[in-house]
Amino acid sequence: MDKRNNPLYLAWRRFLRSKPGIISGIVLLVLYLVAFLAGFLAPNNLTVQHPDAIYQPPQRVYFFRDGRPVRPYVYQLKRERDPVTFISTYREERSQPTPIRFFIAQGEPYRFLGFKTNWHLFGVAEREGYFFPLGTDQFGRCLFSRILVGSQVSLTVGVIGVLISFLIGILLGGISGYFGGWVDTLIQRITEVLLSIPRLPILMALSTVIPASWPSTYVYLGIIAVLSFIGWAGLARVVRGQVLALREVDYVTAAVAQGASNLRIILRHIVPNLSSYLIVTATLALPGYIIGESALSFLGLGIKEPMASWGLLLKDAQNFQSLSLYPWLLTPGILIFISVLAYNFFGDALRDAADVRSRD
Amino acid sequence: MNRRGFLQQAALGLGAGILAPGLWARGLAQGGAANVPANLFQEIGRRGGTLTLPLGSTPQSWNYFAVIDNFAYTVLNNVFDRLMQLDQISFELVGVLAESWSISKDARTTTVKLRSGIKWSDGTPFTADDVLFTFTEVASNTNLRANQAATLTVAGVPLRFEKVDDLTFRVISSKPYGAVLQALTFSPILPRHKLAQFKPKEDPGGFSRVWATNTDPKEIVGTGPFILQSYVPDQKVTLVRNPNSWRRDPQGNQLPYFDRLEYLIIRDPNVQIAQFRAGNLDQVPITGAQFPELKRLEVGGAKIRVLSGSTIYTSPPHWGFNFDVPNPELRELFRNLTFRKAMQFAVNRKRIIEDVYNGLAVLPGHGVAPGTFWYYDTRSYLGEFSLERAAGLLDSLGLRRGSDGQRRLPSGRVLEFAFTYASDSAPFAAIAAILQNDLRQIGVKLNLQGIQQGTLLATATGGNFESILMAYGDQPDPQLRKDIWQPGGQLNYWHRSVWPDRGSTEPKFDQMFPWEKNIWEIFRQAEQLGDQNERKRLYDRWQLLSAQNLPVIMIAKPTAVAAGHARLGNFFARDNRIIFTNFSMFEKA
Amino acid sequence: MGSYLLRRILVAIPTLLLISVLVFAIIQLQPGGFLENLLEDPRVSRETIENIRRQYLLDQPVWVQYLHWLGGIVRGDFGYSFLNSRPVSELIWERMGWTVFLAALTILATWVIAIPLGIYTALNRYGPSSTALNFVGYFGLATPDFLVALLLIFLVLQSGGTAVGGLFSPQYIDAPWSWARFQDMLAHLWIPLIVIGLDGTATIMRQMRANLLDVLSQDYIRTARAKGLAERVVLWKHAVRNAINPLISLAGLQLPTLISSTIIASIVLSLPTIGPFLYDSLLNKDQYVVMALLMLSAVLLMVGNLLADVLLAWVDPRIRYE
Repeated sequence: MDKRNNPLYLAWRRFLRSKPGIISGIVLLVLYLVAFLAGFLAPNNLTVQHPDAIYQPPQRVYFFRDGRPVRPYVYQLKRERDPVTFISTYREERSQPTPIRFFIAQGEPYRFLGFKTNWHLFGVAEREGYFFPLGTDQFGRCLFSRILVGSQVSLTVGVIGVLISFLIGILLGGISGYFGGWVDTLIQRITEVLLSIPRLPILMALSTVIPASWPSTYVYLGIIAVLSFIGWAGLARVVRGQVLALREVDYVTAAVAQGASNLRIILRHIVPNLSSYLIVTATLALPGYIIGESALSFLGLGIKEPMASWGLLLKDAQNFQSLSLYPWLLTPGILIFISVLAYNFFGDALRDAADVRSRD
Repeated sequence: MNRRGFLQQAALGLGAGILAPGLWARGLAQGGAANVPANLFQEIGRRGGTLTLPLGSTPQSWNYFAVIDNFAYTVLNNVFDRLMQLDQISFELVGVLAESWSISKDARTTTVKLRSGIKWSDGTPFTADDVLFTFTEVASNTNLRANQAATLTVAGVPLRFEKVDDLTFRVISSKPYGAVLQALTFSPILPRHKLAQFKPKEDPGGFSRVWATNTDPKEIVGTGPFILQSYVPDQKVTLVRNPNSWRRDPQGNQLPYFDRLEYLIIRDPNVQIAQFRAGNLDQVPITGAQFPELKRLEVGGAKIRVLSGSTIYTSPPHWGFNFDVPNPELRELFRNLTFRKAMQFAVNRKRIIEDVYNGLAVLPGHGVAPGTFWYYDTRSYLGEFSLERAAGLLDSLGLRRGSDGQRRLPSGRVLEFAFTYASDSAPFAAIAAILQNDLRQIGVKLNLQGIQQGTLLATATGGNFESILMAYGDQPDPQLRKDIWQPGGQLNYWHRSVWPDRGSTEPKFDQMFPWEKNIWEIFRQAEQLGDQNERKRLYDRWQLLSAQNLPVIMIAKPTAVAAGHARLGNFFARDNRIIFTNFSMFEKA
Repeated sequence: MGSYLLRRILVAIPTLLLISVLVFAIIQLQPGGFLENLLEDPRVSRETIENIRRQYLLDQPVWVQYLHWLGGIVRGDFGYSFLNSRPVSELIWERMGWTVFLAALTILATWVIAIPLGIYTALNRYGPSSTALNFVGYFGLATPDFLVALLLIFLVLQSGGTAVGGLFSPQYIDAPWSWARFQDMLAHLWIPLIVIGLDGTATIMRQMRANLLDVLSQDYIRTARAKGLAERVVLWKHAVRNAINPLISLAGLQLPTLISSTIIASIVLSLPTIGPFLYDSLLNKDQYVVMALLMLSAVLLMVGNLLADVLLAWVDPRIRYE
């Protein structure tokens, strides 16, 4: 078959027309790569507290000394406490530069592809001082390392959650709209019941039921299940509305007349027509999951301390004190923003690319 | 007290009476025309203006005894007066509506003389009949939600109130009752001529419904400095000066100075601070965590003043272990004093005070606020933070570390247990993270279990935890906190197996540790003593027993912090106390 | 259509009953309760708690409590708030005005802004202005609403403003309506509108864009163009009308947000609406208030769904309900 008529190739060509789409794709790729290599890229352990470095601002990296380029280095910061306001201030100790070392093996081992290792891409030797590229939190934990490791949770919770809730939503919504009659009534009543059930008391009840000894990974899977179980009902309604309309469209009635099976009609004729709507809805639903996870943490249901996720990290920034004194705590918010932005622009481009009939 | 309100304050490190517009009036001041304590005044104020304060939630009712709601009380404390209250500096009782009192030799009869010439805001004279109505028909009525029968009872027999004349009454108890004056401070005095018609005794349900928040404010008459004028649900409560207010400043001017007192209903503490900084609020309750930012603004020249001082009422957090946890190995461990001592060595109080409370906390007492009359110095029993000594004690219990660094229980299972805390309270969450981190270094795994502040107390008293970070507010007299510290009390949540059976009042002594029996006996005896020094000796022993046996591990006692606009007069700190009342403050010219 | 409506309403009754049973059960599952809260107070004895329990039938089995509540509903009595010692209906009524006002205003603003923007971004899909508009929309999506609220308040504060939360400055809260009060409200209103509306605006805008692009590539649009219909007629009469259809189902789901959505944002913004009231009641397990509010929300949801279905059939002749 001629390459120019291959639909995938044509879609790819259309995708390439969208610059934001390409950039977003690259950003997402980088984000997931970083999440995959988080343990290696993080210079510090994410749970180790440094009581002598609480709320330390990001350390500046220097590339030049006396005007000449040298191996990158940082200065150690010395904490001073204002006796009146109790504000911690930090001062660079210019006397001693601390060189940044690359491929350094130190600290607690982490797991990577089943192996235990303690190699890090960069960092400063433990005996020489600290290096916190994005500063530290209330306990003196490295924010940069926490963000990297936290991305593993935040970048997957949304995707898995959306997949699960879409699967249920499309299936039940599709069945409801396609078959109509008592099936429709039943499924619609179920969605109404589900949508009517209050979230907060359910979650509060759950938070006391889940044992505290559960490892974060279990809790994490639990969250995804809960979020997607709650999340599908709204989608099912919209899919149903769409299917109701499409059911009467000529080519569907024609397919029915030809005796095509129901499943075939749903999958071949109806779902593709919904794809545009679904892609957009999916990318719109993602931030809800990323942020929703942080709300769950608040109820003691989400990722627990000392583990990290972007939502949990952003919680630390949600007061005036942090906004004005420790603005670097907002970085997880910026990352949530960037990833959501990337997902959505990527989704737009994908939608346009999948739009087979588009001629312009 | 509304539990959420209480725990919020507990977490914020604020006492019930401190930023609530406590009317901590004192008895007769020396000389002058003042009938309120002279130490409330830095200078004589100027009449006029509006005082605007925040209120953390919507008040539930204007009927003091029908709801337990701190926000309603905050407002109502401006409208009604107590017989007596604690002095802001000395923490001693001084008269408000009471002019003087005397206690008989056998400590069973207390005679109280009321201040003369006081009128209700509608002009009706205030008499001993109002006091008797309040105590006998309302405050000791167990069918009303916010009744105070528990404190108006000694050794199971209710106190008796008798009128002597229009301005004198007697309180008679069957046994000596050492906390009788404290018990009298709890009730605001209500107007009999307005409320007796609703028959609180015969129809408690009906009485609870009167004076709901949609009542005509004119109906709600009081003796306090302000009276209600209007209420806009979820937005604002407005009070105006009581025309019959009896309070006078040292020059004989009628108090309050402010014409109006407005409460803006703002739930989010952050937004309260924003409103304060925007100039819409005159005062704002803050915590140690918010102190640096506001102090920085003050130092930077903003027109605000940030004060700190010691207080009774802040709630010191403590770490409780469930002596009745289902897991038998943990149960044995939690009941073991050596284990609890090891855990105490792992509590880095210095760091918690420095980093979590920004230095605005002190070493805790055991059930009593440091620096007050009842306090017994137990600081030497708190021990220094030492992970080595903690590890040593754990080793001595045979809890050895495995190859993975985790300690093992005798059965070979990893030593781990849950730590329940309020995840929506910043100080509690920070304490949890610090403890978890330190314990990890000595091979003890703490599983953090964050829950909502609002469900913390129910979780504790329901026994649904392994270990928990809790806080109870301190009170001026230990008798008032016996439900917490006396084993078998309804708030003594860490040892529920000694609780009395349903229908019984006798706790299960056979389940108690010897030191618990001692403490139980101390509270029983102290309740029925009139001699305060003798009571103090008993309570000293209780505090010592607690410090030695660690029923719970006390963490820190937060200091009171307050921020006010620079235009507020008579809002100041003296002798490490924050001093202000809504009737003595004024707007500087 | 008449019999269809009747059938839907008849089906709604058992559904509502089922919801009420479920909701009641879930409230019971929640730990704690308003009585346990009372114990903290040094004055409250176990005896008092038992008395109150009896007064409010809380000592009865859960199903007795439920039937008692249901019996009240049949008589038009929505129960009694434990916390406030007042009938539930009064308390809800006090807050209804501002709640409906804010919700209606937000929903209106959302749709009025989002639909044109969606159309615009669909028609100029590779233009820089579309990208910029999308960017703003995503900002709203990507930030939790209460953080947006906090940030806006922070910005107002830093720039020396005083309108930081609430609907009025203190002196106008209980003032009679006047031009000055109206202006004061406008100065406060924009923050809640942005905070509550941003999320919805971005969602609807994005979906409108996608739907319109879909419709524009359909055969009938090309047919219409080929027939020589004016581009304006093609766009507005055919394309946009069809593109809005899927959003109608979505609109049906928006009615209950009157009550339960943006609870936290309302708390942060000190709005006198039902959200924070519901939150307090939930935390304190004030069960009849919670039941009343959640059932109201369920009824609104069903009404919304029904209206959406009827509307869908009305605007889209392809849909038939038999």
